[in-house]
Amino acid sequence: MAEPVDPIAGLPEASRRYGEVGPHSNAPRWGMVVDQERCIGCWSCGVICKSENDVPLGMWWNRILTEGEALDTPTADHGRLEMHWLPLACQHCDNAPCVKVCPVGATYHGDGGLVLQDSERCIGCRYCMVACPYGVRTFNWGAPDRPTDFDTGMVPPRPVGTVEKCTMCVHRLADGQVPSCVWSCPAQARIFGDVADPESRVNQLVRDREGERLLEERGTEPKVWFLPPRRRRGL
Amino acid sequence: MPVRRRDVLKGGLAVGAVAGAAAGGWIGAGILGPQRRTPTGSLPVDRIVRTTCSPNCTGSCGQLAFVRDERIVKIQQAADYPDAAYNPRGCMKGLSYHLQVHGPDRILTPLVRTGDRGSGEFRPATWEEALDQIAGDLRRIGEEHGWDSIHVFGQVPGSGYVQKGANYRACALLGMSHGTSFDFNGDLPMGMPITFGVQNAEHEAKDWANSRFLLLVGANPVETRIPDVHFIWDAVERGARLVVVDPVFSGTAAKADAWLQPKPGTDAALALGLVRQILAHGAADEAFLRAYTDAPLLVRADTGRRLRERDLVEGIAADAPDRFVAWDPAREEPIIVGTERLGPPGGLATVALDGQVAVPRSGGAAIAARPSFGHVRDEVDRWTPERVEAVTGVPAASVVSLARAFAAEKPAAILMGGGANHWFHGDLTGRAFALLSAVTGNIGRSGGGYSVYVGQYRVRVDTSPWWSPGGTKAPVVPSIYFVRGRTPTMHPKVPYPAAGFKALVCTFANMFLQSPDVNRLHETLRGLELIVVVDHQMTDTVRWADVVLPATTWYEKTDLTATPLHPFLQLQQAAIAPVGESRSEVAIWREIVRRIDPALAAEWFDIDEDEAIRQILEAGGGPGGPTEGITLDHLRAGPVRLRVPDPDIPFLAQIRDLEPFPPRSLPAPLEATAAFVPTGRIEFYKEEARFLELGEQVPTHREPYDDGIHDPADWPLVLLSPHSKWRIHSTYSNNAWLAEIHGGRPTVLLHPDDAAARDIGDGDPIRVHNTRGSLEAWAHVSEAAGRGTATLPEGWWSRYFGAGKGVNELTSSEVNPIHEVHFVANMWSPSTGWKDCRCEVEKVGASVAAAAVPAGAAPPGGVDG
Amino acid sequence: MRAGVAAGGRGTSLRHPNSALVAWLAFLGVVMIVGFGAWVYQTQQGLAVTAMRNTVMWGQYILFFMFFVGLSAGGLIVASSGRLFGASRMKPIVRLAVLEATIAITLAAAFLLPDIGRPERIWHLFRYPNLTSPLVWDIAIVSTYLAISLIYVWLYARADLARSGSRLALGTGTSPTTMEREHRAKGILAWIGLPAAVMLHSITAWIFGLQISRGFWYSAIMAPLFVSSALVSGLALVILLALAVRRAGRLSFGDDLVAWLGGLLGVFIAVEAFFVLAEMLTAAYPAAPFEGDPVYRLLFGQFAPFFWFEVVVGLGLPFVLLAVRRLRAQPRIVAAAAVIAIVGIYVHRLNIVLNGLSVSPVGLPPGVSIGTAPASGASSFAMAYWYVPSIVEWLIAAGILAGGAFLFTLAVRFLPLREEP
Ligand SMILES: Nc1nc2c(c(=O)[nH]1)N[C@H]1C(S)=C(S)[C@@H](COP(=O)(O)OP(=O)(O)OC[C@H]3O[C@@H](n4cnc5c(=O)[nH]c(N)nc54)[C@H](O)[C@@H]3O)O[C@H]1N2
Ligand SMILES: Nc1nc2c(c(=O)[nH]1)N[C@H]1C(S)=C(S)[C@@H](COP(=O)(O)OP(=O)(O)OC[C@H]3O[C@@H](n4cnc5c(=O)[nH]c(N)nc54)[C@H](O)[C@@H]3O)O[C@H]1N2
Ligand code: SF4
Ligand code: SF4
Ligand code: SF4
Ligand code: SF4
Ligand code: SF4
Ligand SMILES: [Mo]
Repeated sequence: MAEPVDPIAGLPEASRRYGEVGPHSNAPRWGMVVDQERCIGCWSCGVICKSENDVPLGMWWNRILTEGEALDTPTADHGRLEMHWLPLACQHCDNAPCVKVCPVGATYHGDGGLVLQDSERCIGCRYCMVACPYGVRTFNWGAPDRPTDFDTGMVPPRPVGTVEKCTMCVHRLADGQVPSCVWSCPAQARIFGDVADPESRVNQLVRDREGERLLEERGTEPKVWFLPPRRRRGL
Repeated sequence: MPVRRRDVLKGGLAVGAVAGAAAGGWIGAGILGPQRRTPTGSLPVDRIVRTTCSPNCTGSCGQLAFVRDERIVKIQQAADYPDAAYNPRGCMKGLSYHLQVHGPDRILTPLVRTGDRGSGEFRPATWEEALDQIAGDLRRIGEEHGWDSIHVFGQVPGSGYVQKGANYRACALLGMSHGTSFDFNGDLPMGMPITFGVQNAEHEAKDWANSRFLLLVGANPVETRIPDVHFIWDAVERGARLVVVDPVFSGTAAKADAWLQPKPGTDAALALGLVRQILAHGAADEAFLRAYTDAPLLVRADTGRRLRERDLVEGIAADAPDRFVAWDPAREEPIIVGTERLGPPGGLATVALDGQVAVPRSGGAAIAARPSFGHVRDEVDRWTPERVEAVTGVPAASVVSLARAFAAEKPAAILMGGGANHWFHGDLTGRAFALLSAVTGNIGRSGGGYSVYVGQYRVRVDTSPWWSPGGTKAPVVPSIYFVRGRTPTMHPKVPYPAAGFKALVCTFANMFLQSPDVNRLHETLRGLELIVVVDHQMTDTVRWADVVLPATTWYEKTDLTATPLHPFLQLQQAAIAPVGESRSEVAIWREIVRRIDPALAAEWFDIDEDEAIRQILEAGGGPGGPTEGITLDHLRAGPVRLRVPDPDIPFLAQIRDLEPFPPRSLPAPLEATAAFVPTGRIEFYKEEARFLELGEQVPTHREPYDDGIHDPADWPLVLLSPHSKWRIHSTYSNNAWLAEIHGGRPTVLLHPDDAAARDIGDGDPIRVHNTRGSLEAWAHVSEAAGRGTATLPEGWWSRYFGAGKGVNELTSSEVNPIHEVHFVANMWSPSTGWKDCRCEVEKVGASVAAAAVPAGAAPPGGVDG
Repeated sequence: MRAGVAAGGRGTSLRHPNSALVAWLAFLGVVMIVGFGAWVYQTQQGLAVTAMRNTVMWGQYILFFMFFVGLSAGGLIVASSGRLFGASRMKPIVRLAVLEATIAITLAAAFLLPDIGRPERIWHLFRYPNLTSPLVWDIAIVSTYLAISLIYVWLYARADLARSGSRLALGTGTSPTTMEREHRAKGILAWIGLPAAVMLHSITAWIFGLQISRGFWYSAIMAPLFVSSALVSGLALVILLALAVRRAGRLSFGDDLVAWLGGLLGVFIAVEAFFVLAEMLTAAYPAAPFEGDPVYRLLFGQFAPFFWFEVVVGLGLPFVLLAVRRLRAQPRIVAAAAVIAIVGIYVHRLNIVLNGLSVSPVGLPPGVSIGTAPASGASSFAMAYWYVPSIVEWLIAAGILAGGAFLFTLAVRFLPLREEP
């Protein structure tokens, strides 16, 4: 049996270069920009998240909402059809309701401003799910159900009876690599970076394209910005 | 970045209403508590293997397989293209293929049928037994009925030159007939060989970014070109305009600056209307027409055929190449036009494009003739915006403004897809849009062009050493004739087996689901003495087999691939050992051939995949060849760009260097396809007798063919079966993660008005039927549907329906005689019209709904919304 | 619990156990064992055996928790105000009220256990408390409150215990100084108990009322509303229990007290109704009703039957019964009104919790992932979810309720309930 390979150190050179986080400030605060104009609602980011993080059936850390009547179905406003996609995972709120309400501090702010989850401390009260205005947390209701009869992914599975959610792929950041969903977006609609650095690409995009945050008025201070779809110009 | 967190006491919130002492104790405990843990690194794997995703998809995306304990635990894009614009390449389907590799429908051993055909009852067999039985039966059938009565059907060789090539190799060695796919899939855009003399030719996806105007016709790249569509966004970000023509509000329509909603099957009328507007406003690029097209070439008034030099001058040898004639209006004399070099006839910028002329002939009366373009113009002139509106439903005003906008921007690209091509008269639609591109001078320009993106057909390298052992080629019979037998108009060169078809070996295809008119196909199947299916999933086709052989997936074998959309050569490399007892196609054919003729096998099949790849690379490796300087070692390290222009644009040699049309279409020899365009120019006027008979010598519009079979008054809905974003055809039908998203049951998109007229509500079980077949699925009611359309994306396995064999029970296998004027397999050959299909829809009882959701599987409580 | 008293009330003395009592306790024992078995099963299988899912992640356990917190707080408020505001008429039932409060808070705490996914980690609450969490404060107040209730119960029983020489008197006697001290202690406890009860309910309210995730919870009225509903349900239950225990011969008081308590209940109901009106009006007035809106769902949508039941049957009907002097003079009518009011408050809790949770936040299709593998032909996502407790949830709830009845029966049997003159 060959030596075990670290899935990041062991990447082919060109692939590893592709995934590098790139320059950032000394005290980075990690955030993300999702470009709704580029997003094609393909769910690659949702699927790779599931794969990377060994998320069982029925649970999704990252889902792609349709701004429309139903999945991939437009709304009709006096015959004018419109549809956009809104990929949604944990927004890593600076003022995170989930962190506030967790009775045991199992969900907490880690380095880089990430909202993380300690599966060994979580008692499974689900108060954080009640508190999260984005519906991005999911509970391990029973034994994990997988389409394969073995564990997949790059992180250990979480115990039954605890809550889990997007970690911003903190296990990859540890090795200087962007989150898996950012890597895998075929439309290049997800941009990861340091929101503390005013000159970072994420901040530039937010400025240039008037990025907005979801439910900004609730004061959760998310670290994910959405670049709104452009205006349709007609013929 | 180490992520850790020190517990910090949060102050200021101690509300003094409760017993403070207890709280005080707690605070202390909180501070002293251990640090909280989240994973700070990835779990190790055993290896990471770079390979290529290769379903019957146009993607061919480089993927990394992460392997732990001989099982794939993650698939992720390799993102290692040297051209960064192509990174990452891959979609949610490719990222989840390990669920199929290790999933419940995987076939692990050879199977031999025990029940009736189609019952799905099999027993496991050993390879020895299965191979002996197959070889024995094939030999018996071959000797009794002729080897060509054995039909080997394998899909799209472009996604696997070696393993799929093994089919060709075996056919060549034994004389079995090989089927076709590009034409059978309806992807062969017949407008291409008719107009340009090529099988097909498209700009590489990266070139979309260079466009100023993108006109998408029946193409839905947001769902069917997921790895490439971002190049359109790049163009749009730089200010390009995006216009989508689609009867349905597709994912791509949602992104468009303007969405035109024609009635299905009427795109040709729209194109002709646009050309008319452009000509009427003098915006046509006449220089382009003179230099590169047949526009100035004269057509005789008496025969409708082109005027040739030999018509005017006596004594030209019968075997001398044809030369054609144009007209110099100033000197009122003919100009002889050769086929060696393009450019305006006689170098004249004023050569006639219209007008009746009398061409003097030595020793005879003058011949009445007219430039080809005059005929084109006559037809085009009939398509006023009002008439276009009447036929297509697109408002006249939109036609006018689209024509203006399209002509104003250069370069402007036309991207045509299956929605426009998959029609009985898809050739006419193609010719009309090619005309639009030519009159605006967009052909052969970066960011412009007329490209039809359909199918993974492209053979980009010289595969002959592997496919044609010792120079022997497999006889290739268009598979449409397998489905419906000979047609009266079938081209005599088609090597249709004298005894008809007696056996079928199907690999790399879900033929009994994905073929048109499957009920008719089943008639053919009844006459077969042997059905062998090689696959790794328990598909509909597998269920009808007599013997099933378990194939390896592309994660378990070696192959060489390329695709039309990005000109990179890539390897499939085995990431894991074959699952179960599965074997590669090369290994399977080697064993079958060995059993039939050991000497033949020893001579020709004692070669492994690596050697086959080496031979292919060598064959195309000469100076200027597509694989010049590319070695197997290069490919092992990652994707290598073929030696093609960057960006890869078709017809550069013609437009820039004035070489005659057509460029070569691999693997056919140039002469075969050059016969399609004898003028050596882009031909908008066709003179072959059948074109003249059917009145299709110039691009025109015809009503959908099925309207003649299913009267629209009785069959008011057009059944569209486009490609689903959730599947590659039938592949991924059974993918658990994707089913979690889309719900895992087939829905038919209906317009609210059509649904209401039939008392159908969203989610209702419905029956879709016509005279060819019927099925039961569920309604999805939305204004996204065009009125009068029912959209059921192709590919759902039949087990997910309430009833029926899938959407292709209803589709048609009619053959357009124009597609039989010439015959070069997969190049000028009958192309299927999937969307040319009418139907009616009605509500069915609740029984279907109950059948599909097994009791007890639903979560307690119940879900709505 | 009521049933327990009714059994004891069939003219037999609890001091002298008979077969009916034994059968009753045995029955409760069986239900408790079945409930415990269901809980063990649930810990093995995970909460997947409940009907809760990511969409409605809190269900019947939390509902019962809130409900019993309310019952308990109500009981203590009755007991404390009896002492504090010199409502000496209440004296005969103060002990009963204290007992009710104690058992109710015990049940409330018991309902938290099956609700959490990792019950064996419950100690994390005490080891790693996070002080910004209303839940931590709620646990704190529940614990505090349980302690107060137990001290209360002991104080009231102490003298009797001392007289009978019980060790449970902890060596205290019945000398006048001791009695004087006891009296003072009761006064102090009342002063602590009343605000504790109010806080108990307010903090429970703030579990919801501080959350911005569900529009309609985030409201200042949540705490007063919870307190008022606690008063209604708590007093109603005390009335019912008092009547039952009186029938069992373990308490004696006049019908005038019943009528007076009934009148008080009517006032509480009116206050509750006022708060509900204020809440709904504030929520509904500015918004154009749309279907995803929780207020719309309450007024016209999926929860309308529950809401209008709460308003018409839960509040309106008992108020009418209690407002009419002639009616409330009849203990039967007061009892009936009390039963209805209790059910009404339960439905009120349900309307707040389930209605708030039942529609996915953000509200765009396909919604929130459910959390367990979907049936074939269904997706893993839901925009809305209709929660009906599963059998396991019912069995566990029945077990805990039986435990409460068991405790109460024993307490009535062994503790002195009559206030000594
Ligand atoms: N996800 C995914 N991607 C794929 C495939 C797949 O199965 N799944 N298959 C691959 C293959 S082999 C092929 S051939 C391609 C095909 O992919 P596309 O070329 O995109 O073809 P379709 O999906 O058949 O149809 C595209 C659009 O045409 C519209 N349409 C239907 N009828 C008409 C019409 O009469 N006029 C016009 N203007 N539009 C019409 C449909 O509504 C649809 O939105 O996709 C390739 N890519
Ligand atoms: N109604 C309707 N029908 C259509 C179309 C439409 O638009 N409408 N589109 C048509 C088009 S464009 C196309 S291209 C065809 C596609 O038709 P098919 O190519 O027949 O469809 P797929 O589902 O891709 O089938 C591929 C099969 O190959 C198997 N396979 C994969 N890898 C291997 C391997 O390594 N070895 C072997 N032996 N098998 C393997 C897969 O499991 C799968 O069963 O469908 C056509 N059918
Ligand atoms: S999105 Fe939800 S889970 Fe994530 S930090 Fe914000 S509140 Fe917490
Ligand atoms: S479920 Fe776990 S993480 Fe969420 S609030 Fe409860 S203890 Fe904290
Ligand atoms: S950052 Fe990682 S965990 Fe979060 S959504 Fe993306 S892939 Fe999932
Ligand atoms: S992968 Fe990219 S394009 Fe696809 S849904 Fe996610 S963000 Fe959108
Ligand atoms: S399915 Fe097609 S597009 Fe998706 S990863 Fe595979 S080859 Fe690429
Ligand atoms: Mo295709």
